[in-house]
Amino acid sequence: MKKRGLAMMLAFVLAATGLVGCGNGTDGASGGKEKIRLMVWSPSEDQSKDSGEWLQTMCENFADEHPEWDITFVYGVADEASAAGQVAQDAEASADVFMYANDTITTMTDANALAKFGGKYREEIESTNSEEVLASLTKDGELYGVPFTTNTWFMYYDKSVFSEEDIKNLDTMLEKGVVSFPMTNSWYLPAFYIGNGCTLFGDGTDESKGVDFSGEKAVEVTNYLIDLEQNPNFRIDADGSGIAGLRDGSISAIFSGSWDANAVKEALGDNMGVAALPTFTLNGEEKQMMAYAGSKAIGVNPNCDDMAAAVELAVYLGSAEAQRAHYELRTVIPCNTELMAEQEIAADPLVMAQNNTFNYTSILQPFVSKMNNCWTPVENMGKGIRNGSVTHDNAAEQTESMNEAMNSDGI
Amino acid sequence: MAAKTKVRSAKKRRFINNTIVHVVLAILAFIWVFPIIWVILTSFRAEKGSYVSTFFPQSFTLDNYVKLFTDTSILNFPQMFMNTLFIAVCACILSTFYVLAVSYCLSRLKFKLRKPYMNMAMILGLFPGFMSMIAVYFILKAIGLTEGNLIKVALILCYSGGAGLSFQIAKGFFDTVPIAVDEAALLDGCTRWQIFTKITLPLSKPIVIYTVLTSFMAPWLDFIFAKVICRANSDQYTVAIGLWNMLQKEYIDSWYTSFAAGAVLISIPIAILFLFMQRYYVDGMSGAVKG
Repeated sequence: MKKRGLAMMLAFVLAATGLVGCGNGTDGASGGKEKIRLMVWSPSEDQSKDSGEWLQTMCENFADEHPEWDITFVYGVADEASAAGQVAQDAEASADVFMYANDTITTMTDANALAKFGGKYREEIESTNSEEVLASLTKDGELYGVPFTTNTWFMYYDKSVFSEEDIKNLDTMLEKGVVSFPMTNSWYLPAFYIGNGCTLFGDGTDESKGVDFSGEKAVEVTNYLIDLEQNPNFRIDADGSGIAGLRDGSISAIFSGSWDANAVKEALGDNMGVAALPTFTLNGEEKQMMAYAGSKAIGVNPNCDDMAAAVELAVYLGSAEAQRAHYELRTVIPCNTELMAEQEIAADPLVMAQNNTFNYTSILQPFVSKMNNCWTPVENMGKGIRNGSVTHDNAAEQTESMNEAMNSDGI
Repeated sequence: MAAKTKVRSAKKRRFINNTIVHVVLAILAFIWVFPIIWVILTSFRAEKGSYVSTFFPQSFTLDNYVKLFTDTSILNFPQMFMNTLFIAVCACILSTFYVLAVSYCLSRLKFKLRKPYMNMAMILGLFPGFMSMIAVYFILKAIGLTEGNLIKVALILCYSGGAGLSFQIAKGFFDTVPIAVDEAALLDGCTRWQIFTKITLPLSKPIVIYTVLTSFMAPWLDFIFAKVICRANSDQYTVAIGLWNMLQKEYIDSWYTSFAAGAVLISIPIAILFLFMQRYYVDGMSGAVKG
């Protein structure tokens, strides 16, 4: 049903863009300067006075650097997660430059609403970013955005409870203090399965290979999770209970992302510790938890009037200079390789944790369209374990049916 | 003697019955009111975050309300509130007029398309309004109403445009006003418009008030049309979009208690309207005969 709705929506988009035609042409050149109107969308924090008006500042710097253009900026608010939906709904009336999360790439490429980067721009982007980050924005060999941060989750812990040694293994941590994990959230739960060799779409890009969450390796994990849920030192993190636990001291470690950094800092103060994901002990063997990771990027609308200016602006907003300002104003963790090499930034534990997770303890979150089938079955597994309907007796059967559901299109 | 015990046992039985009924009602009322109390308590909660382990807040504060109106850099609640109020008031006036006028015509005037129109309205009414949402968006865009302040006009049109189809209840009420009154007025030289404004409307206060209430609430509470039409224009956001934004991953931890405060605030105008107009509302729904 959902798919049909989307198809209808797209049909409307196409029909209407055909009918409506183009409204705002650029005015002729005046005084040797080309007049340009650029619409830019970003999350509202990037534009708020309290956090330094990052977007406005950067755009003005950009205009200063390009005296050949007389640019009028129009700002709009769309956060990275929802921008794709807005742009795909009506690409023509959308921003020329916008920010998006990489798992929404297919939504926009399907609607023909995302421009490819090529030539010198692509070279510039490739020279300042790691391969993993670039891979997250590449589809069928084409690069679709300028990355400005990575997007994943890692571990926050209380330094007064756990030592540097303890946090290497989840089971060691559970002996010393209370750990909370969002078991009923399917963005987090697969970390255990992937850690034990389960795969999604081959290396994440081959849709035909399907999901492999079956067999002994997956059943072992289900059994481990059932025991984990019953561990008296384990709490399920749902609806913000983890961060509330950190505040009142009943929980000493949670799994979350950079968006919770300020809240955790407030709760733990100097005892705040941040680290990449720990391992877990499965039948005596150490297995590494593997998070889903993605990136956030700046995209360009192929329907814009001034392609050159829009692409230049996108590249500028993703440059080292802009990323540094973003980091200083809003602690948006940079991903530019030159910036990462700098002492001051590399010393920040939050940056280290996120980047270590991204580089070593994560897999690229697949963004093939069949990935959409993978969320609900995993969530149901987590909920089944929580309410006791998944037990050691039926673990094999339940795991198999989860795998089957992840591989099917049915709802 | 026997009669006396009979009376007493009847009294007793009534007492027991009443007790049971009241206990059941009290339980139901409690279940019903419980979430509302919870939201109100949360709006005064001093502890931050979306999750707390206790039902009653540990400490109370007004900061959540203050934050709504002072911390406007990320989510500008006062502006959203004014936007919504403006849209709701305009849409309310327009659609009340449409509904009452259409109902009056269908109740009093005899014309050829009367039956077909009523059938068509019935069938169209079976489809959910948001089915045409995307089409409506593109039509508005083609007219040029999807940018800047014109978005408010677009939303007012959206909320009032379909009003002509929801005439059933008001028409039913007008049908109960005796035609003889109209005829008497016609003989005295009234025009149709004068009959409508001077005779029918004053006799139909309950249904007028019912119409005003329902047509105010629809735009006041609507989320889906506002979301589709406002898109990235944050200065045009309505309260519903603002409240939804407060529950996004990035904001939920710091805005959750303010979200509850916002929810309480938007229910206040509706609550006041209902308190004042409750009597008429019940009359309107039961279709009382006047005349």
